[in-house]
Amino acid sequence: MTDLAALSSFVVAAVGLAVPLGLAALGETVSQRSGVINIGLEGSVIWGALGGALGALAVGPYWGLATGVLAGGLAALVFAGFAVRLGTDQIITGTAVTIGSLGFTGAVFQSRFGATGLALELQTVPAWEVPLLSRIPLLGPAFFDQAVTAYLAYAMVPLLGWFLFRTRWGLALRAAGESPEAAHAAGVPVVRTRMLAAVFGGAMAGLAGAHLSLVHTGTFAENMSAGKGFIAIAVVVLGRWRPWGVFAAALFFGGAEALQFTLQALDADLPYPLFLALPYVLSLAALAGWFGRSRAPEGLALPWPR
Amino acid sequence: MNRHLPHTTALALLGALACNPAPGPTGDDGTPSVALLTSGPVSDAGWHAGAYEGLQLIGNLLGFRISHQQTRTPAEFDEAFISYAEAGYGLIFGHGFEYQDAASRAAKQYPDVTFVISSGSRPSANVVPLIFHLNEATYLAGMAAAAVSQSGVLGMVGGVEIPSAKGTFVAFEAGVRAVNPDATVLETFIGNWDDVSAAKEAAAAQLRQGADVLIHNVDAASFGFFQAVREVREGGREAWAFGMNRNQNDVAPDVIVGSAVIDIPAMFLRTARAWEAGTLSDEVLYSGIAAGAVDFVPNPAQDGVIPDDVLAAIDRARDEIVAGALVVPRIEFVEGL
Repeated sequence: MTDLAALSSFVVAAVGLAVPLGLAALGETVSQRSGVINIGLEGSVIWGALGGALGALAVGPYWGLATGVLAGGLAALVFAGFAVRLGTDQIITGTAVTIGSLGFTGAVFQSRFGATGLALELQTVPAWEVPLLSRIPLLGPAFFDQAVTAYLAYAMVPLLGWFLFRTRWGLALRAAGESPEAAHAAGVPVVRTRMLAAVFGGAMAGLAGAHLSLVHTGTFAENMSAGKGFIAIAVVVLGRWRPWGVFAAALFFGGAEALQFTLQALDADLPYPLFLALPYVLSLAALAGWFGRSRAPEGLALPWPR
Repeated sequence: MNRHLPHTTALALLGALACNPAPGPTGDDGTPSVALLTSGPVSDAGWHAGAYEGLQLIGNLLGFRISHQQTRTPAEFDEAFISYAEAGYGLIFGHGFEYQDAASRAAKQYPDVTFVISSGSRPSANVVPLIFHLNEATYLAGMAAAAVSQSGVLGMVGGVEIPSAKGTFVAFEAGVRAVNPDATVLETFIGNWDDVSAAKEAAAAQLRQGADVLIHNVDAASFGFFQAVREVREGGREAWAFGMNRNQNDVAPDVIVGSAVIDIPAMFLRTARAWEAGTLSDEVLYSGIAAGAVDFVPNPAQDGVIPDDVLAAIDRARDEIVAGALVVPRIEFVEGL
C-alpha cells in the first residue's frame, strides 16, 4: 500500500468517525450556550440509534433518520422536563437519563429481537457523491462522498454560527446561558429557551445515533453509543462553545480514533490506550486555557429560577 | 433546590432499576438458586449470549431458580455478588476475567456460596475458575483462515487486551503460520467490547491494509466487524470473517467461514450439576476440545470455501490436540501454577 493510499484511507476513517461526534457536539453547543449541560446526551444517542433502526425497519432508512431525531429529542425532553422545568440538578438528572436510556433501549431491543441477540441487517442510507468537490485529492472522497447526515453536519456549522451570534434569538439564547437574571429582566423566556435548546441538542444527538445505526454500521447493538455522547461533551469544551471550533474538535477526535486503528493495522508497536487517551488530555488542556481564552457560559448548569 | 430532590432521586432510581433488575425472591422451599453476572449485554450473539443460554438451560433442565444481572463497573460487581449471596443464591457465575477480584472478596464474606468465574485466575475454597481452552479452536480456525486467504494478510480485531482474549489471538496466529509460514497477521484492539462503529473501522483499516480474512474477539461490536467484511465483498473484493465464542455461523452466514466455538451452555450445565451433587472441586476447571467444550465449526452455508485437504489437516490437528501430541500456544493467567 502506498503512503498516499494509507493517508487517504486514514482521512476517510477520520471523517467517518467525526460525523456522529460533530452532530451531537453541535447540538450540545446550543444546549450549553443556553445554560444547560446535558450529560444525558449519551442517552439521546442510543435512543437515536434504536429509534433509527426501528423506523428504518418499519418504513425505510430515510424515515429512520427522522425517527432517530425524534427519539433523541424525546430523551432530551425528559431530561429538560426535570432539569429545566423542575430545576433538578443537571448533572444528576443527565446521568440518570443516560443510565436509564442504556437500560431501556436494551430492554426494548431484547423484547423485539430476542434476548441473545441477532445481527440486524439494516438497509443503510446511501452516500451521495458531490460532483467536482469529491474529486479534490485526499479530502474530496472523505468529505464529499458521504451520506446526508454528514452534509447536515457541515451545513449546521455556519447556520448555527449565524443563529447564535447574528440573530436576536441567538442573543437571547446566549443571554439565558450567561446571565438568566438579566435575560429574564430583558423579557427573555429563560425556561422555554432552555427547554428548546436542550431538546434541539437531543435531536441532534439522536441524528448522531441514527447515523451510527443507519449510515455507518447498518446494524444495532446494545450500548453501541459506546460513550460517544460523553465524548461529544468533551468536543464542545475543546471547541470552546463555537460551532467552527466544535466542528474542528470533532474532526480532531475522529482523527485521533482513526489514527489508532491505522497505526495498529500498520503494526506500529505502540500501546493502543495512549491514542485513546490523547484527545481527552487535549480537552483538559483546552479547559485549562492553554489554547487561548476559554470560558464556559456563566450560567451553565445553574437552575433557573434559583 | 431541595424541594426538587425527590424528582431527582426518583429518576436516579428509575435509571438504576432499568439496568439492574433486583434478584428474585429466594428459595425458601429449598430450590437451588443460581445467578449469572455479565459485564455486557447478553444480546451480543456471542460470549455473553452463551452464558445466558447456559443459565436458561440450568433453569429449564434442572429446575433451579435463576437470575441474571448485567453489571458494568467493578463497584457494581461487588454489589451484585453481595446482593445475590445475601438473597440466598448458592451458585453465582461471574462470566469473565474481570470478575475475579470482586469474587475473591465476596467469597471470604460468604464461604457457603460458590463463585464460578469464567476465565478466572485465582482459585480458592469457594472460587472456581472455569477456563475454556478456546485457543485450541482458534488455532484450527487459523489453519482454515490461512488456506482461505489469497493475499496472505490476515487480521484480528479484539476488545481489550486481557489474557484470555490475547490467548485466542496468539493461537490463531500459530494456526495461520502452521499452514502459511510467510503470512502477515495484523492485530487491533478497540479498547472495549460493544463499540460497533469502532470495530467496523478497525476491521476496515485492516482490510484496506490488504487483509482479506479476519477474526474477532469482541462482543456486541462484532456486528460492525461483520459489516466491514460485507461492505468489502459488496465492493467486489473477496473477503471472509470468522466468528468467535459462540457458533456465529448463522449471525452473518454470508461472510462467515466458520466459528471458534465454546459450548458455554453445556459447561454451565455440567458445573451446576456438579455443584448440586457436591462434587464441584475447589480446583480450576479446564475444558478444551478433548472435553467437548470447544471446537472449530465450519459454516455449512459456505461449504467448499475451506479446501478439502485443509479440512482433513484440521481434523488431524484436532486429533493431535486431543491426544496431547499437539500443544497449542496459550497465555497462562491462572496464578500459582
